[in-house]
Amino acid sequence: MSTVAQQLDKSVRDTGPPKRIGLPWGKIVHYLYCSLSYIFLLSPMIVVIGASFHGGEFYTAIKFPPDEPSLRWYTKIPQTQYEALGLSFLLAGSAALGACIIGIPAALGIVRGIIPGKALISSIFRAPLQIPSIVTGIAFLQLFYIVGDATGLYLQGTFAGLYIGHVFVATPYVVGTVTAVLQRFDTRLEEAALSLGASRMSAFFRVTLPVIMPGVYAGGLYAFMVSFGDVPISIFLTSPGFVTYPVELFYGMENDFDPSILASASLVIFFCLLALLGMQKLVGLDALLRSGSR
Amino acid sequence: MQARWEYLLLPSFVFVVLLIVSSQYVFLKGSFYEDLGLGQIGDTFDWVNYNKFFSDTFYLSTLWITVKVSALATLFTMLLGFPVAYLIARMRSQWAMILLAGVVVSTFVTIVIKVFGLIIIFSADGLLNKFLMGIGIVDTPYTIIGNQTGVVVGLMHFTLGFGVLLLYSVIQTIPRSLEDAAQIHGASRWRMHLRVLLPLSLPGVTVGALMIFNMSMGAFTSAALLGGGRVFTLPVLIQRTMMMEIKYSMAGTLAAVLLIAVLLINLLSVFLLRRLRAARLVIA
Repeated sequence: MSTVAQQLDKSVRDTGPPKRIGLPWGKIVHYLYCSLSYIFLLSPMIVVIGASFHGGEFYTAIKFPPDEPSLRWYTKIPQTQYEALGLSFLLAGSAALGACIIGIPAALGIVRGIIPGKALISSIFRAPLQIPSIVTGIAFLQLFYIVGDATGLYLQGTFAGLYIGHVFVATPYVVGTVTAVLQRFDTRLEEAALSLGASRMSAFFRVTLPVIMPGVYAGGLYAFMVSFGDVPISIFLTSPGFVTYPVELFYGMENDFDPSILASASLVIFFCLLALLGMQKLVGLDALLRSGSR
Repeated sequence: MQARWEYLLLPSFVFVVLLIVSSQYVFLKGSFYEDLGLGQIGDTFDWVNYNKFFSDTFYLSTLWITVKVSALATLFTMLLGFPVAYLIARMRSQWAMILLAGVVVSTFVTIVIKVFGLIIIFSADGLLNKFLMGIGIVDTPYTIIGNQTGVVVGLMHFTLGFGVLLLYSVIQTIPRSLEDAAQIHGASRWRMHLRVLLPLSLPGVTVGALMIFNMSMGAFTSAALLGGGRVFTLPVLIQRTMMMEIKYSMAGTLAAVLLIAVLLINLLSVFLLRRLRAARLVIA
């Protein structure tokens, strides 16, 4: 066994970075610290999933870790929660689609158009993200009141009203991700297609679109998830009997609590996990994040 | 013939501008009329609601609490998030992807579900309280529902995943070779972090922190559920004023104050980013 002095002596003679003596404490502390961060980050979701498998009676139904494992509460998810989930899926899906229809042309125009004030234009497209969601919520509700008073067409508590609010906040994500991909796009690919006789349309649909697709998927997924999880906008634009899932959950936690919420919430967590895995297979997590920096 | 891409932009631009301007105009204008109760508003344009806001200690304390819990949540999010972001950014194995996936999933799952989990964890006969009472740290069950600590924890769950992703992209822009160079020249790990990593990541960290602070200022769901009707932040009060008190104008005023606070922070962040970019050009 060598003494500390001998090791120090050796490290001085060695070339390259000095070798450390003993355990790498810095690393150990760093790893432990990060595990704590992860426990903090993931524990609420793990607890919800774990507690959903507890089959106890109504007032003792929330227990983690579960002592009577069963799927009991999964079979007791009431109709209202399924309806809310259905509405949320429909809304998030169509909001993501709407965000793509508005966002993709916008990104193309911003990156390729010859226009003054590009920075200003792209910051206007980003603006809905800067406005706090709660402000967007009351702004649209008050707008719908005014429009309703003027035209007799009241949009609050309708799908159309919810849809406008959700597309509004979802669009910036698609604009952001598609802009990021387009900025890296080599336009010579398109020129090559054109010089080989492709029409402008077919060059766009067969060369440009496939290349920017990862950005579209990433932006679409963000748009979907933002709409799917939203409370502060939906809470103003829904009405009793016509609520999205997060709002249903919000009221459920504030007022009449039902353990079946645990089961349906777990289903939603599994769905988010699946969506992420699908995205990883489709474009890779890296692409998702690279284009996600807005 | 050159394709005219700018025409593609037009319909989207008109749509977005129309929605922004009309929605913001309506509530901002409405905030200048007095509430007469039951959703009716007065017909003279004046500053009555703003005077009320800035002279009533309840409203002012709400603003102060919002700033305080947001600042605390931002601080703790950065403290918890930076080491994780650094770990993932510098990792060479497959594990980096798995760790990253954990963070992304937590940003996807709606905050309502996460708050639900938090309430179970902190419930009186829950895991945490049994543990804390078992080792004798507390005598009575510790709760986070209905106090400011709870709101801070809730805000952190709202921002942490996003914060890690943000810091991850900041750290990725710093070449690893700079850290290696510092260590080859004999800097200890600690010294390298202090003298190389920290100064280089500071611009990104500052801008990121302002973004997280903004997110926290505007966060409604976690503050409403964990505040339990006892802690009022601006977003919670806005919803309450609008839906329960049915004072549209006062709600508009509160929203305007929140919006202006957030926009000012954004301006600051843009300004900082510009100065720091200029500074970085000198370095590089």
